[in-house]
Amino acid sequence: MTDTASSSGGIRPDALVRPADPASDLEKAALKGRPKVSLLGLGMLSPAAVLLLVFFFAPVVLTTIFSFTNMTSATGISGGAYVLSPNLLRELERSGVDSDTLAALGTESVVVDQESIAAARAAGVEEDFLEEIEDDLLGVDFDSKQDFERALKDLPSHLRRTRDLKLAADHFLVSALNTRFATRAEASDAISALAPDIAPGTRDRILDASYTGWVWTTENFRRLATQPETLRLVLNTFFYVAVTLAFNVLVGLFLAITVFYLPKGTGMVFSVLWLLPRITPVVLYAIMWKWFTWDGGFVASFADLVGLPSFNYMKGSVPTAWTIVILVNGCIGASFGMILFSGALRSIPMQQLWASEVDGASRWQQVRYIILPQMRWPILFVTCYQSMSLLSSYEQIWLTTNGGPGNTTMVWALESFRTALSNYTGNLQYGQGAAMALVLVIVGLVLSIIFLRMFRFGELVEKPKIEF
Amino acid sequence: MQTKNFASWPIVLVLTAISLPLAIMYASLVIDSFTNTPAGAVLPNEFTLEHWAFLVDPTITGNVWTVTFNTLIFAFTMVVVVLSVSATGGYAMSRLNLPYRRFFLAGILVMHAFPSVTLIIGVFLVLQFAGLYDTLIGVILVKAALTLPFGVWIMKGFYDAVPWEIEMAGLQDGADRFTVWRRLILPQVKPGLVALGVFAFIDGWGEFLLPRILAPTTEFQVLSVYLNNVSVPDSVDYDFNLFKSVGLFYTLPILILFIVFQNRLMNIFGGGTKG
Repeated sequence: MTDTASSSGGIRPDALVRPADPASDLEKAALKGRPKVSLLGLGMLSPAAVLLLVFFFAPVVLTTIFSFTNMTSATGISGGAYVLSPNLLRELERSGVDSDTLAALGTESVVVDQESIAAARAAGVEEDFLEEIEDDLLGVDFDSKQDFERALKDLPSHLRRTRDLKLAADHFLVSALNTRFATRAEASDAISALAPDIAPGTRDRILDASYTGWVWTTENFRRLATQPETLRLVLNTFFYVAVTLAFNVLVGLFLAITVFYLPKGTGMVFSVLWLLPRITPVVLYAIMWKWFTWDGGFVASFADLVGLPSFNYMKGSVPTAWTIVILVNGCIGASFGMILFSGALRSIPMQQLWASEVDGASRWQQVRYIILPQMRWPILFVTCYQSMSLLSSYEQIWLTTNGGPGNTTMVWALESFRTALSNYTGNLQYGQGAAMALVLVIVGLVLSIIFLRMFRFGELVEKPKIEF
Repeated sequence: MQTKNFASWPIVLVLTAISLPLAIMYASLVIDSFTNTPAGAVLPNEFTLEHWAFLVDPTITGNVWTVTFNTLIFAFTMVVVVLSVSATGGYAMSRLNLPYRRFFLAGILVMHAFPSVTLIIGVFLVLQFAGLYDTLIGVILVKAALTLPFGVWIMKGFYDAVPWEIEMAGLQDGADRFTVWRRLILPQVKPGLVALGVFAFIDGWGEFLLPRILAPTTEFQVLSVYLNNVSVPDSVDYDFNLFKSVGLFYTLPILILFIVFQNRLMNIFGGGTKG
């Protein structure tokens, strides 16, 4: 870091204040041209740095990492286990794994030891019965479940009902099926024990298939690139952003300029009314639009009254749904635009307008030749800022049409959010959603950097004036 | 600007026409919560207070006061976090020499411009790993952190505007940097703190997505989620007037705040989080 910014920016502080001790660290640092790092500054900054690191930086990293996994709510987030389920064996058989091997994996054996007796006791099998099993059958080998059941029936206090007996016998059955193995090695050992002749390749294949946790994959991006749905989402998003942006800027400009030309009191009424969408909490704002356009709501009743088709304008047809979505978001953006443009308008020198009026300029000519040329930067700013915010915002669409009817008003951001966090089928696809979000994160990052470059970014990050 | 050369009525006419939907919506929000409208009609025909019964009768929508209290806690805690962290962070950014200062400032600017809603999946995973998912504290931290780039940036702007002669004077009189900040500089940026505080409060009060997604089952419910639950239009006995009175109740505090602090807010509202 050099001193150029401050030496050009004003008087250097040490020109005013000479440190009492010329040999102080401060002076030495200044002589080396490298100011002392402020510990106080580090301390004051650290809370902000930590929070931003955890809730901005880490989410970006996690989004990137998990977009390369197949993580869903079924696989869990923190990893999984190895489970050989009967379904899995059937699937493997269908996909060509040797059926003898699979049969071996599916076999059950009977083990009578302290552990299995304890398990049976915990499950509520009668105490007398268990004691007899412990006395007579502990450590005995049985070839099959039937043999074991027969042995149980020979015990004096055996259970009368066959069903109870079978249930009790189940506690002594050991099988690799439906057992959760925490590590790959444990699962591998279990498979080798049951099917000693298994080929290593087949074993790995079974292990891979039996893993319930998430795995690394690029499938998410392949799916995004190949499915036809993607193109429609991109087109929808593009349409939505372009039209809403145009609405934002044009209506915002129109409001700012007209209010500017109105007497103070009248102008105030309109500017307050158009400020409301931006202040109103988003839920209430969305529900008000619902009331306005739902069946039985205002527009429907009014249309009925004047003989127009009356239906649910928000979800009833595609053109009306799009209109509502654009109006809902457009009004908030127009409100934002109006605030910014009004501020910019106030900084236009009045004399220019007065002079033009003396010269006989019409209002339109004033707007066209005096106001608009001076509004170039605010317009560019609103366009950049809004395009980014529209690209990623979905709260309003979620609360109004929710992408409907069908998926016609679905945009990229809403789809990624729904995929990952809010679908009704219950299986939330974090990995796929993260991949979709990653696209937005990258686009957002690139756009914000471009847009900061445009707005003289260098000046914004100038060095502090007091720097020791 | 107004001169006598042009009539203003054509402008008023056009403005009225395009403002009509919004005007109707907001007017009916107030009117319908106090009146009844016969089915199929557009205009109301009787005055009533029955839609406000939810304030005293918890059987209608549950106890609204607990929810209001929750929302207050949520918004207020968030304001405290945002203010304290932005006030210190902004000062460090504005006046103190730090390694990688330029880089950090650039980062804050990018984060401010960056649409933070796209991070929600990542934030969800962070909370899951930190064990803060479905907790009040988690949602407050996330909301505060997402508001921070804006807060730090705004506060830096206010600190930049404080004449540094004040600071130099304090230093020459023998105070250290921290004392100077606390005793001399903080009073100077009070307008900024007030504006940012009110802004953060309004923002927190209106927040819906984060509590809904990051704390879906918790006992703690905020007014935005409550309002959304009250107004599911797909149910058969849907009561538009009820949602309007609940909605008005929900919005009034921030409308009042906005009117009181209007002038201070307008300066920073243009750079707000969501456009």
